[in-house]
Amino acid sequence: MKGKAIQNGRRGRRIGAVTRGSLVEGLEMKLDPEQNIEDMKAGKFVVIEGDKNDFFSMVTDMRLDANNQDVLLHPPAQEDALLRQVLSGTSTYNIVSLRPMLMMAKDAGDPELEGPRPVKAIPSHFSLVQEAEEEDVAKIFGREGDEQGKYFSIGTPLDMDTQVCIDTIRFAERSNGIFGKTGTGKSFLTRLALCGLIHFDKAVNLIFDMHNEYGFKAMKETGGSNSTFVKGLKQLFGPKVAIFSLDPQSTRARGMQPDYEVYISYDQISVEDIAPLQDELKLNPTAVESAYLVYAVYKDRWLRTLLALEGPDVEEFAREIGAHPGSLVALHRKLKRLESFPFMVSRLEGGDVVDRIMQYLDQGINVVLEFGQQTSMLSYLLVANIIARRIHEMYVKKSERFYATQRPEDQPRQLMITIEEAHKFLNPSAAKQTIFGVIAREMRKYYVSLLIVDQRPSSIDDEVLSQIGTRITALLNDEKDIQAVLTGVSGTEGLRSVLASLDSKQQALVMGHAVPMPVVIRTRNYDEKFYSDMGCLDELPEKERKEKVEADTVALFGEG
Amino acid sequence: MNSIEEQRGASPLSRFMAEEALGNGNGSHGKNGDYLGEVIESSTTEFVAESCELHGAPSFGRFVRVVSEVPIIGIVFNVFTQSIEPNRRPTAYGKTEEELRLEQPQIFELLRTEFQALVIGYVDDTGPVQTLPPQPARIHSFVYPCDDDEVRAFTRTDDYLRSILNTAKIPTDELVIATMRHTLRAHGRAAPYLVRMGKELARLLGDDYDRLSSIIRRVAY
Repeated sequence: MKGKAIQNGRRGRRIGAVTRGSLVEGLEMKLDPEQNIEDMKAGKFVVIEGDKNDFFSMVTDMRLDANNQDVLLHPPAQEDALLRQVLSGTSTYNIVSLRPMLMMAKDAGDPELEGPRPVKAIPSHFSLVQEAEEEDVAKIFGREGDEQGKYFSIGTPLDMDTQVCIDTIRFAERSNGIFGKTGTGKSFLTRLALCGLIHFDKAVNLIFDMHNEYGFKAMKETGGSNSTFVKGLKQLFGPKVAIFSLDPQSTRARGMQPDYEVYISYDQISVEDIAPLQDELKLNPTAVESAYLVYAVYKDRWLRTLLALEGPDVEEFAREIGAHPGSLVALHRKLKRLESFPFMVSRLEGGDVVDRIMQYLDQGINVVLEFGQQTSMLSYLLVANIIARRIHEMYVKKSERFYATQRPEDQPRQLMITIEEAHKFLNPSAAKQTIFGVIAREMRKYYVSLLIVDQRPSSIDDEVLSQIGTRITALLNDEKDIQAVLTGVSGTEGLRSVLASLDSKQQALVMGHAVPMPVVIRTRNYDEKFYSDMGCLDELPEKERKEKVEADTVALFGEG
Repeated sequence: MNSIEEQRGASPLSRFMAEEALGNGNGSHGKNGDYLGEVIESSTTEFVAESCELHGAPSFGRFVRVVSEVPIIGIVFNVFTQSIEPNRRPTAYGKTEEELRLEQPQIFELLRTEFQALVIGYVDDTGPVQTLPPQPARIHSFVYPCDDDEVRAFTRTDDYLRSILNTAKIPTDELVIATMRHTLRAHGRAAPYLVRMGKELARLLGDDYDRLSSIIRRVAY
């Protein structure tokens, strides 16, 4: 009875029993007196053993309570340990709120009912609650190393050492988001996700690297002045990654020769590319219409022609084509800024960058587009929109041809486009106009999806947010941001407190399409072990490296 | 009535020790060995026994066993010494007990010590049972003290505390304290047992925090 633990022999320690709750609001459990309330952390993973099902649940809240107010008015003295012990569990007790996320039948009589399912029932009174064990986590989240390469470990649950894996196929199928306050390690999370996709070959990536963090070396934010460098994607995956640079000088200065230097000619910019820049350039809505009027006459050469004009000629020109002079003058003035960008050229020498990118993507080579010193918002928005729009066009064509011919060799590779500062591309006004809004809404129809990285998810259009399949969220403080991240994902009641209580570094909440249930993880370390797991050879000792190269050669070319 | 507090002068344990030690002042309990008393009144809920020796009754709060077909377990809640005849009451002499025994030994023949015990259970084939027995103790049965093993066997569960607390006309708090001290000693003063008893009390006295803390404080001395 009292004091005798009921062990089932299968699982982890018993921590309490379910006392009340409902399906909608979650369950409450009374913590056993021997357990320390401080061990219960928000986001901890526990298992409730019902009669017919096991319920995998997350701790969402804890509270202290007493059955008699007198106890609280006259708390026992600090020295009176006996009285405190006697009171704990009887007059004073701890209640932990749990939210069941998945249920699994105990004996799978019906093969259809095997495996974790959404929660439709609740356990009875006094059901045992136990800590989750390794097999529980593996049963739900899978283990890295299966033949399909489906599971990629992104970290460990709180207070446990087992892997938590995301389903890379499901991750690549939809658009995904990585959110968190500044400094919470979003770049590391993004790098992890990209490494998973590249290593298991589930999608080819086009990364718009605004801050030069993904391609080559990046600085690790450690305390004090001792910052070290971590490997970028190019160093980890070598030939599978190509670096395109808008600022080749800067790339070279950081010790890397870009695989391709990117230049954009004026003829490549269409009016649709100017529209998303309205906010940034503070353009009048009529400005875009004026641009269309120029385009109507000059077609591809509209921008070149417009920028070639000077001063009063602009008004003259406006009258010629029937545009409003004032707005065309404003447009002209603002578009003049484009001339100052070193990557804007009047004539392309090396060929069209978009065609080149497409070639690489077709071969399965991932492209990182570095911006070097060109970190102004304008250049980022402009270049990202131009390239993405045309890539998307090509992909639409490819997909339609595939749907027509149905031949497997025509199937386009799944493409994932990574953009940072996503709220600039996807805020409610821009989302209707930019190509990224279109991509986000189309889902998997044309084999293109987004990986958005942002610290202000509340600024992103709701409709786009609801299309985000998997969300990896680091610490967020702002109530609106938390609300935004939880939009459109089922079963997230009670996750608010979990989100707000994350550590500011190396902790994230993963939820959505690629994981069966929301889970708090301590992110996988981005260190030497990770490098070797990803197949990077640099750090291996000589002998192992030779062996590995031999093995790879044989795999590629056959024996002899 | 002896209460635990009055015994606190010497070590409180010395009183318990004295009774079990053989050949002590309180030893030689009569013709049949170690029995402490003989039942002279009996009912389902309590019994009265006359102790063999004057002033030789078991301690307040002590577990006692009535030997019969179905042994009955009780807890001593009242010990009283009075004159045999109701009409003749002792008077004061102004002399010490030793002097009186030398000079007026006959007055001690006119006194007797009796003790009342609360029936809290019995022993059947399956072991100790913490409910009232089917039949009360028989008159003239002998009453023996329970030794440590018997106390431990009987107090495996703590339901008897409820019986004590629910009885009227007895000093419940004091009795609970005395009984708990006895059982604690029988369990070797193990702290986990003390905590366990305390928690059971907390469940029973949950609404009355003052009473609970008062009892816990005094049990643990």
